Amino acid sequence: MTASAPDRPAGGAGWAARSFAPVGLSLALVLLVALFSMLSEHFLSLVTLRTIANQIPPLMVIAIGMTYVLIIGGIDLSVGSVLALSATAAGMAMHGGASPLVAAVLALLVGSVCGALNGSLSVGLGVPSFIVTLGLLEAARGAAYLVSGSQTQYLGSSAEVFAWPIGGLGLSASFLVAMVLVVVAQVVLTRTVFGRHLIAIGTNEEAVRLAGIDPRTPKIVVFVASACLAALAGLFQLGYLQSADPNAGIGMELSAIAAVVIGGTSLMGGRGSVLNSCLGVLIIAVLQTGLAQIGLSEPMKRVVTGAVIVVAAVLDVVRERVASRPKG
Amino acid sequence: MKDLLPRLLLQCALPLLLVLLTAGCAPSDSGSTGSDAGTAPRVALVMKSLANEFFVTMADGARAHQAEDPERYELIVNGTKDESDLAQQVSLVEQMVATGVDAIVIAPADSKALVPALRKAREAGVVVVNIDNRLDREVLSSEGVEVPFVGPDNRAGAKAVGDVLAARLEAGDRVAIIGGIPTAFNAQQRQAGFEDAMNELGAEIVDVQSGGWEQAKANVVASALLSEHPDLEALLCANDNMALGALAAARQAGRDDLLLVGFDNIDAVASLVESGEILATADQHADQLAVYGIELALELVASGEGTASEDRQTPVDLVTGDPSPAQE
Repeated sequence: MTASAPDRPAGGAGWAARSFAPVGLSLALVLLVALFSMLSEHFLSLVTLRTIANQIPPLMVIAIGMTYVLIIGGIDLSVGSVLALSATAAGMAMHGGASPLVAAVLALLVGSVCGALNGSLSVGLGVPSFIVTLGLLEAARGAAYLVSGSQTQYLGSSAEVFAWPIGGLGLSASFLVAMVLVVVAQVVLTRTVFGRHLIAIGTNEEAVRLAGIDPRTPKIVVFVASACLAALAGLFQLGYLQSADPNAGIGMELSAIAAVVIGGTSLMGGRGSVLNSCLGVLIIAVLQTGLAQIGLSEPMKRVVTGAVIVVAAVLDVVRERVASRPKG
Repeated sequence: MKDLLPRLLLQCALPLLLVLLTAGCAPSDSGSTGSDAGTAPRVALVMKSLANEFFVTMADGARAHQAEDPERYELIVNGTKDESDLAQQVSLVEQMVATGVDAIVIAPADSKALVPALRKAREAGVVVVNIDNRLDREVLSSEGVEVPFVGPDNRAGAKAVGDVLAARLEAGDRVAIIGGIPTAFNAQQRQAGFEDAMNELGAEIVDVQSGGWEQAKANVVASALLSEHPDLEALLCANDNMALGALAAARQAGRDDLLLVGFDNIDAVASLVESGEILATADQHADQLAVYGIELALELVASGEGTASEDRQTPVDLVTGDPSPAQE
């Protein structure tokens, strides 16, 4: 896949270039794939890889938004609920005869409203984003149940447009969209003034303000983007499962935070890389599929998943230390 | 000094607002519906997650039943936030006892942990009837209480569903089961019922994994099972939501021939059962489950006996698209 480009700068500053090199993570990913290939004769196959590729887009796009939110020193706990709310809204609209395009616009609209709410309350009024988005985690989930009458809607082939495999390749359109978004988000973060502002805000917001830049607008933009990406994830899932489930995405915020933090993005802000988050998502996805293929019991799956998340993060920290020592 | 008053007012404003908000919201869902409290018995229905379609249907059925004859009894419906919120359910039971209800009809969030709270309710003279998830018999007897269970035989229902599938398979065919949350009693019963049917036929169950009752999770598991066992003939899913997830996995893998069965008969699968894409599901009449429990509770209140030693079985009906085969 897209893994293992050599040391790629992602933070702007020199030290950052070293610490964001995705070598450690790629290594962890390769080790995992090798391990599962040994344990299951069917794991290393085109079918499995394609399955993983088609399952990851929702988590992938949410992880992009989460990376940005963490970089500015915030957090967005509402993404799983926003995913469900926008997907059920789109699902109900399509059930009522709306075209997929209208439904998609509606979903993204729902996402923007949620994001604007998160952004304006946390940035405008200075309420910690943890609290604001925790509130929306509850409220949006409730709204999803209200909108759908707590019922799963089956949409059938009309929902295929959002995620159905593109002919020949077997890869879904949503996978390609997610990959393009990863690249765009990484470029915006590392090569644009906007991206530098975000990193600066996360490092020292006061300094940014003193430098004459208003940090509020970029911060609100980030919250809106995060919620819109969650809505997009909702559409991907809607298309992939061909139904809208108000219980969709429960716990998704934690998977996304795990993936992003595995990727070395700091919970304290000012540091992060979309590419590395992408690797974090791949690690989680490979783990999910691999563990299911070797047929581990449910409790063991959870123990192993937790352990791998920690080990992957440790591996990256150790690699970073080793890499920085000679220059030190 | 002179700004003390405004500050005090401000200090009081927030708590006051919260109280008003809660008071404003409370009566809509947890409020009682009924007539003169003097004569009619008061029955409290304590549910698990009112976010879940199944329990919403159950509660709506109970409300409709009460509304048919409002003079007969007074109904108070309460539910927890999610299906595993034990502490909240225990405190709900205590609240209901404190408000002096005549009977509690409960779908326990846990088959063991609720028993002590229910024992206290019995000691306070409240009639207790257990629905949905059966209380653990050993714990009941060690606590020295008798609580009658009114509910469907999930194992027999799952066996019937499995038999429809068995009619389409041959001995030696390979199948897999996607189960619910392994700690849940009904998940265990449905798995046992599926296994009964498959073992009777002589089919080989290559794997049993949990799909956590959830669409997206079942989809991941189903995809993994299909890549790991390309010769799989059928997937038996412990609820319809997971069957929807498995269906998406089968389509993605190009396995349109894969046979699928579910459980619960939710609206979303109606068209799929009709078309045979999902072979069979079971209807345990969710809307009537609480009503059966309430009926027994009213009998017990009227007779003054307080408890019954006999459990009561409620019907589970097989639902298939084709009216002819394997109905008996």
